[in-house]
Amino acid sequence: MSGRRRSTALIGDDNTVVVGGKTLTWRTLHKLPQLPSPAAVLVDNGADALAAVRHHAVHGTELLVATSSRVDLAMREELGESGFAVVLANGDEHSVTPAKLKRVEESGRVWLLTSGSTGRPKRIGHTLESLTTVRGKQQPRTWLVPYSPGTYAWWQVITISLTQADQGLVVIEPSELETWPAIAAEHGVTAASGTPTFWRQTIFRDSEALAKVPLEQITLGGEPVDQAILDQLAELFPQARISWIYASSEVGASIVVHDGKAGFPKAWLDRDPDPASERPVLSVDGDELVIASPHHGAGLEGAHRTGDRVEFVGDRVLITGRLDTDEINVGGSKVSAGLVRNVLMAHPAVAWARVFARKAPLVGRMVAAEVVLNPDLGPVTDADLVQWCTNRLPDYGVPRRIRFLAEIPQKETLKSDV
Amino acid sequence: MSELTRAQIRDLMGEVMKAQGKELPSDDSADLREIGFRSLDFSELALRVEDEIGDELNFDAPGLRQIAKVGDVLDFIEQLQSA
Repeated sequence: MSGRRRSTALIGDDNTVVVGGKTLTWRTLHKLPQLPSPAAVLVDNGADALAAVRHHAVHGTELLVATSSRVDLAMREELGESGFAVVLANGDEHSVTPAKLKRVEESGRVWLLTSGSTGRPKRIGHTLESLTTVRGKQQPRTWLVPYSPGTYAWWQVITISLTQADQGLVVIEPSELETWPAIAAEHGVTAASGTPTFWRQTIFRDSEALAKVPLEQITLGGEPVDQAILDQLAELFPQARISWIYASSEVGASIVVHDGKAGFPKAWLDRDPDPASERPVLSVDGDELVIASPHHGAGLEGAHRTGDRVEFVGDRVLITGRLDTDEINVGGSKVSAGLVRNVLMAHPAVAWARVFARKAPLVGRMVAAEVVLNPDLGPVTDADLVQWCTNRLPDYGVPRRIRFLAEIPQKETLKSDV
Repeated sequence: MSELTRAQIRDLMGEVMKAQGKELPSDDSADLREIGFRSLDFSELALRVEDEIGDELNFDAPGLRQIAKVGDVLDFIEQLQSA
């Protein structure tokens, strides 16, 4: 299998890769021993994940890469029964559990696991080509990689560096997430992509350190993006381009917005398909966002119901959250948890908020919230926040019970289940 | 956590009213509609009580009743706690 195929993906082979405190290039990364194909490579650090990707790019072997913590024993069994050898990578050492099912490999196939926010993670088939959605020539940049290896967002950053010259990477390990701005400033990171939760946490912890990172491109994705976080980033980085991306393993990167506003223009809905461009077709059915995307995963052609809820505000379409959790029915009046959250997040002293339904007598459900305050902006009480919301929301949308948390919760996917 | 006393429930009811910019009269016979204590406020009071006692109130247990005055609310919540 070795040497069978050298992908054009390796245009970026001499790009700088900073990982584990070492400055390398894709070419000088440590090499994994010859991998079986198909292989599920489970990693505990970014270096091993990049080494697995380069192995795939050179040899074309069928690959799933994920952090070992995301793949429990039951899922490892399932992978073995689906023909994957399970490889636990650890630098130059690795252990291999052979596949339980022998099958022909799908050359060039890359598998992603969905985040599991809607249940057990699913396997979605892609290729390096379908994952490479940034194709136009980019100006030289050094990208931060805070995402968990193997997620769609992680692949988005990785493929830019693999397929284009002058696109360096600075990989942030989970243990470095709290201090990433110092590492990024040291290595001259100019572009960074993260979830809104990731950006909020960073601003909450140390906005001074963040402001020292010479960012020219800031990208948000993976969760609903509210106006407050876009505005905070614009204030810190007035010269940077701030973009938000709607992407998922299923439909790929489908909506890219650069105008600094939450949501996307209503005019983007129901446009005629244009095969020449790689523009997805966006539509809304009921409250649900529906996307037909050229960047879809294998077997997911055509219109895909995203399960994400939208709401029209002026000339924008806001993505407010998951359909099954976003709508809160308060005594027959319906309110979007995402919109209530946006109102809370717009309060100057609120660093993070989660809005949810709480079972209550008479009205069935009430709006409740958990909030993390910015300690620099003075004492704020739950009554202050209730008053803030009362002035901006219908009475049934006002969170009546607000609990304060000391820190912003964050999962391995950099999301916080809002 | 133990049950709340009637006075403690009254204090929580006062907090609910205060958050709405209103004041709870001291008279238990005050009419809820007149003082602006609505179903959302009643629901919030129930949640506050649940948070205090660390347990869910069982609303299925007591039979139907009319809750028209401040005293009715206090009676009802007291009864729910022991349901």
